Amino acid sequence: MSFVVTPPAWPKVLTGRADTIAANPFDLDAAVRTGAFGALKKAAGMGASSTIDLIAAAGLRGRGGAGFPAADKWRMAAGVDADQRYLVANGYGADPGSHTDASLLAADPWAVLEGMAIAALAIGATEAILAVRADDASLVAKLEGAVLAAEEAGYLGDDAAGSGRRVTVTVRALQGTYMLGEETVLIKALEGRRAQPDQRPPYPAQRGLFDRPTVVNNVQTLAAVPWIVANGADAFAAIGATACPGTVLVQLRGPAGGGVAEIPTGTALRTLVDLAGGAGSHGLKALLVGGPTGGILPAEALDTPYEPAALRAAGAHMGSGSVVIADGRACVVDLARLLTRFSADQACGKSIPCRIGLRRLSEIGDRIATGKPRANDAVTLGDLAHDIAASALCDHERTATFALSATLRYFRAELDDHLLRSTCPAGVCTPIAVGSASSRGASR
Amino acid sequence: MSTIPGMGLVRGMGLTLTRFFQPKATIKWPEQQADVAPRFRGRLQLLYDENGSLKCETCFQCAQACPVECIDMGGMDTRGRFHVHWGAAETYGERREESALRRSGRPVADEAFTRFEALDTTAVDEILAAHDDDPRELLAILEEVQAVYSYLPVAALKHIARTTGAWYATVYGTATSYHHFRFEPPAVATATPAGQGQKVAEAGYLAALDSALRFDGKAAR
Ligand SMILES: Cc1cc2nc3c(=O)[nH]c(=O)nc-3n(C[C@H](O)[C@H](O)[C@H](O)COP(=O)(O)O)c2cc1C
Ligand code: SF4
Ligand code: FES
Repeated sequence: MSFVVTPPAWPKVLTGRADTIAANPFDLDAAVRTGAFGALKKAAGMGASSTIDLIAAAGLRGRGGAGFPAADKWRMAAGVDADQRYLVANGYGADPGSHTDASLLAADPWAVLEGMAIAALAIGATEAILAVRADDASLVAKLEGAVLAAEEAGYLGDDAAGSGRRVTVTVRALQGTYMLGEETVLIKALEGRRAQPDQRPPYPAQRGLFDRPTVVNNVQTLAAVPWIVANGADAFAAIGATACPGTVLVQLRGPAGGGVAEIPTGTALRTLVDLAGGAGSHGLKALLVGGPTGGILPAEALDTPYEPAALRAAGAHMGSGSVVIADGRACVVDLARLLTRFSADQACGKSIPCRIGLRRLSEIGDRIATGKPRANDAVTLGDLAHDIAASALCDHERTATFALSATLRYFRAELDDHLLRSTCPAGVCTPIAVGSASSRGASR
Repeated sequence: MSTIPGMGLVRGMGLTLTRFFQPKATIKWPEQQADVAPRFRGRLQLLYDENGSLKCETCFQCAQACPVECIDMGGMDTRGRFHVHWGAAETYGERREESALRRSGRPVADEAFTRFEALDTTAVDEILAAHDDDPRELLAILEEVQAVYSYLPVAALKHIARTTGAWYATVYGTATSYHHFRFEPPAVATATPAGQGQKVAEAGYLAALDSALRFDGKAAR
């Protein structure tokens, strides 16, 4: 698995070692020669609270989608009085179209394992769980082998890297639904319970796995930790966007190809389009940012920096790290309804906005795309999306409204063509109600 | 002990009268907690909507939450699956008619209730023993049971519930919320093969997206 080639000046936090150990990424000795587990030894000497302070100073935010400051989560969990604490590395990779986390685990598992051990020591957890997808059985087996090797070498286990503390890592292969990536659902799956999210608070950091304080971090978040310990907080804070520094993996897709790339946060979406090989001869129409629950951004939004706050303001989110180019041949209404349908199908059914709201929302999308809209569908769409976002139990429902909301916000003309004139300018949506074809449709 | 005969009745009626004239109180749960008597038992009632259809979505959450397992239901759940009841068939007020799901126009199969078949549970016992009868290993147990029977028979689920001590509603509710489990016997050819539920959904989504984007499978995944 190789990564998309990025400008040499861009810093490599997550994939820096990947090329050197590419011959056999699962060879511990080769990784150690490139510096793996050096940071763990350093952190073991530093002590828990100084490690958390260091991560706070670096400004590391979660890469799992929500962008929550990692140090705050760790501090919360460390502060709760408990007989056991857990660390869960979220490598589930819920979006089937995004392979960022799986690529990282395959290219440099050691960064993730080392980050897990540092985090576990910092929060006082003796048990760490690496949750991955069961689909790729060979990756699961290799990861289990890597954990064994690290235990044998003394980096994990009863006396992790000479810290005098126990850190055991278990690899758990999970399968289920899209929702399994959500942290409270992931915890439920690890407990062997129904895959539905919980109301927060209490946050998992206060009461999580088996009711013990549990830190759930994305594998990219954890893989950045050893780099910060080794290179210092200032070096990390200097990379990328000020509000959310560091680098992040994105899954690029476009008519010219794509792949996984490590980019500094705050990189303009325009640059990401170039990295994916451009939009091709049909020109760029829209950018799907964030996976199935992502937003659909127009060409005018290409200067938006890839960074949580700016993306949210634009109506998208980092989500699964997927950035897909839709060129001139695509119909945004069709795309939006596809994304919404998948999100609605994958919703867990626990809350009313989830169970009924998303279904109604995807039905409106279907009606519009099939040329059978009701008179007030545009208004209902806006109202419903707002109500779902306001009453949602988990982030899935909130973000699942992004795709259709974006068509209202950015592609109103194209939506109106479907709604008022029963035409699809891109010629994708069918069937178009023939009788009501407008002057515009007829003049073609 | 009242000295004047009938005084208790008067006091009781007095309370009723006071309550009668008190304004109705809406308690903002969960911020405020109602003062509920320890032996209070609310009445269980299913509500009908303006079309006369039961509003229950068969989401199974109340059955899972009920501490004494007194709630059970038949009908289609929100995932389009048929819930199997564990009581006698006569005890169910079946919701056979439209749910909101069906009103939405989605085709929903309606299999009649069939009593579950008895099962040789030796294999289930072995699996349970390997997991120490621990309900926290439920997912692994279910996956292994499915590997043996190529679906999850009701009898096996009941057996798991009995042995692990988990409620049947919990076992069944857990199983139905993971897409890789299958509840139809191999004879039902239209059902998604065991273990493939999520993969089929994901492949369908990716293919639809690919064709909507006109990538024709060319762009790298
Ligand atoms: C529907 C849904 C799916 C999610 N899927 C993933 C996922 O596949 N991987 C992941 O790391 N986080 C996922 N998340 C985010 C997690 O809930 C959680 O915020 C994250 O794992 C926390 O790690 P972080 O603080 O390092 O970002 C998902 C969230 C939602 C609402
Ligand atoms: S199954 Fe769900 S919708 Fe039906 S009564 Fe119970 S909680 Fe309500
Ligand atoms: S509560 Fe079901 S998806 Fe959020």
